[in-house]
Amino acid sequence: MIGCYATGVFPRPRRLIGKTRAYERGRINGKELEESFAKATETVINAQVSTGLDYVTDGMLRWQDLLRPFTESLKGIEVGSLARWFNNNTFYRKPIITDHVKREKDIVKSIMCLEKLPKNISWKAILPAPYTFASLSENQYDKDKTEFMFEFAGIINKEIRSLTQAGFSYIQLSDPALVYEPLATKSREDELSLVKNVLEMAVKGTSVKICLQTFFGDFSKILPEALDFPVDHLGIDLYETDLEKLKEHSFEKGIALGLIDSRSSLIEKTDELIGVTKEIIESVYRSRMEEVFICPNCDLDFLPWERAEKKIEVVSSVANHLKEEFS
Amino acid sequence: MNKLFPTQEVGSLVKPRWRLKGYRGKSLSKEEIAEAVSWGTKLGIEDLEELVKLLSEGDSASRKRAMLEWSAKYAIRFFETAGLDIVFDGEQWRSEMYEHVIRKTVGFKFLGYVKSFDYRYFNKAACIDKPKYVKSLYLDELLFTKENTKREIKVPITGPYTLVDWTFNEYYEKKFSTEIRDFKRRKFEAKRDFLFDLIKEVIRPEIDKLIDSGAKWIQIDEPAATTNLTDEEMELFVDSFNEMVEGLNCAFSLHNCYSNYAVLAKYACELRNCSQLSLEFANRDSRQTGIGDTRTGYKEIRLFEEHGFHGNYGLGVVDVHTNFVEPPELVRDRILHAAKIIGDPSRIYVSTDCGLRTRTWEKSFQKLKNMVLGAELARKSLK
Repeated sequence: MIGCYATGVFPRPRRLIGKTRAYERGRINGKELEESFAKATETVINAQVSTGLDYVTDGMLRWQDLLRPFTESLKGIEVGSLARWFNNNTFYRKPIITDHVKREKDIVKSIMCLEKLPKNISWKAILPAPYTFASLSENQYDKDKTEFMFEFAGIINKEIRSLTQAGFSYIQLSDPALVYEPLATKSREDELSLVKNVLEMAVKGTSVKICLQTFFGDFSKILPEALDFPVDHLGIDLYETDLEKLKEHSFEKGIALGLIDSRSSLIEKTDELIGVTKEIIESVYRSRMEEVFICPNCDLDFLPWERAEKKIEVVSSVANHLKEEFS
Repeated sequence: MNKLFPTQEVGSLVKPRWRLKGYRGKSLSKEEIAEAVSWGTKLGIEDLEELVKLLSEGDSASRKRAMLEWSAKYAIRFFETAGLDIVFDGEQWRSEMYEHVIRKTVGFKFLGYVKSFDYRYFNKAACIDKPKYVKSLYLDELLFTKENTKREIKVPITGPYTLVDWTFNEYYEKKFSTEIRDFKRRKFEAKRDFLFDLIKEVIRPEIDKLIDSGAKWIQIDEPAATTNLTDEEMELFVDSFNEMVEGLNCAFSLHNCYSNYAVLAKYACELRNCSQLSLEFANRDSRQTGIGDTRTGYKEIRLFEEHGFHGNYGLGVVDVHTNFVEPPELVRDRILHAAKIIGDPSRIYVSTDCGLRTRTWEKSFQKLKNMVLGAELARKSLK
């Protein structure tokens, strides 16, 4: 019933950072850079295994931003200029949609180090959710965000199938734009019903567990509609969410609790997080408890590697305590 | 200033190779020394033989200090020779706008590099104790610049909101961990406390020192001002600015670039004692000459006006992210277009979008010269 995993891009370990900088300055070639990525991927996977996470990811070290593998690979999309990544001091490159979008190959699978993933632990992969990808793109082609969102959902559906075939049993769709709304005031009922339809298209006919992970915003603002989304688990950023409002709702789905703050270097106290988790479980599961995952609230790459390593130790330690209590 | 359309740069100028290597104690190639001599001659720097001798010497503490002074002198002359009315030292003494302050202040610890974008990273610090002012951050720069120019001086300093936004907040988050249960509220209150402590303990004492030493105009650099677009965060930013400048007898201005101006415009008129908003517009604009619809980059000035901002503009007319050298006629039209929107040309200071540290000295010089020429053309056409 209780599990744990990471929720996004891991920071590049110090040595790899040095190599990427050397590559940019023309001091090493692409082959040497690739070797460094492969080596660092091993480090990141080993850290997840040794801390005892229930699902491992490949760490996504090559991902320049959450959208980039798609921005670079999809036909009909060009890589645009830098834009701020939500309310962070980091930046992504805007996808510019210039033509009908076409997927010509397996995108995420082709940049993964599959051979480095352990055989005895389940694998998790992370993809951008259609709503977020469409919201952060500039559409110069047909101007219709809704139509593009459905097209992108179709692409995600194919990606999920290809990853399932490769051996992944858990897919996270990252959807920060769905909850990040510093300036919005209008009612979002129509928008949320659209998101539900888009997600239906993305997950149609797939056979793995799927989590819609939200972050950088208040999850309680998309309740109760989100409870009907066609996904197995819902991911919540507890550093942005109104806890009291969250606890007013009754859930019949699993939840991924973003209890560890990837945007703060302070190492959390295990006891406090255990207490908060128990409170949430008692409030939202009134009849039957579903699967609960302990995880960081968002990508860990806001931290230097050494801190990220400590943070996943906290993730695991909180989960282990709770596993004992709820077993 | 009595002159119409005074010209200024935002702050930084790239450090010449002889300054970087000289400061690190490395020996210089003949070409690098020749570069120093060539620019020195062009800028009319006195006693160049002394610099050449110094560049050939071994590393020492006195050589390090002399390197800072020489390159500051070069930068001041650089701006003067290009014809700017308002100058400083190209921030030649600073490693970088963030690290410079954090390294000189007690209470911080660098944790390592974190991603900015692609293969770019920045060294991010954590606040691990209450910030403490132990040495001056910019005083040497001001005193040296004062000695070496007769022109008006604008001292650019890194703003507290940006310093806090770019730093992990361990000390205050820990402090509030027992007091406030709600994670989100805890982080916000911790941020507020950090920000106001930093102002009280570090930024105000520094500003006091600068004013006591003759600073008449201080520019607050706040690139992070609109990182968090909520009303609560924007109000925090405004409060921090007002707290920092309250009751001080000095002109203050705000520099902000590559940001959300629709949101900044809403709050700009609440900034007290802010005589100028130095903003980036050229980067958003077309390169065609003309006044009117072609000037797409300047439309947001209207928002600042509509929200009741009555101060001056440091009008970005030179894009610092391209080697395209703006012709004087383009600079002129950007100025005249903005003057038309604002209705009062005396509220315009002609400026670059941001510091020129992304360009070479050659390109920077050409760009600034044309900016000065363009300002002159604009003056003439209004006569």
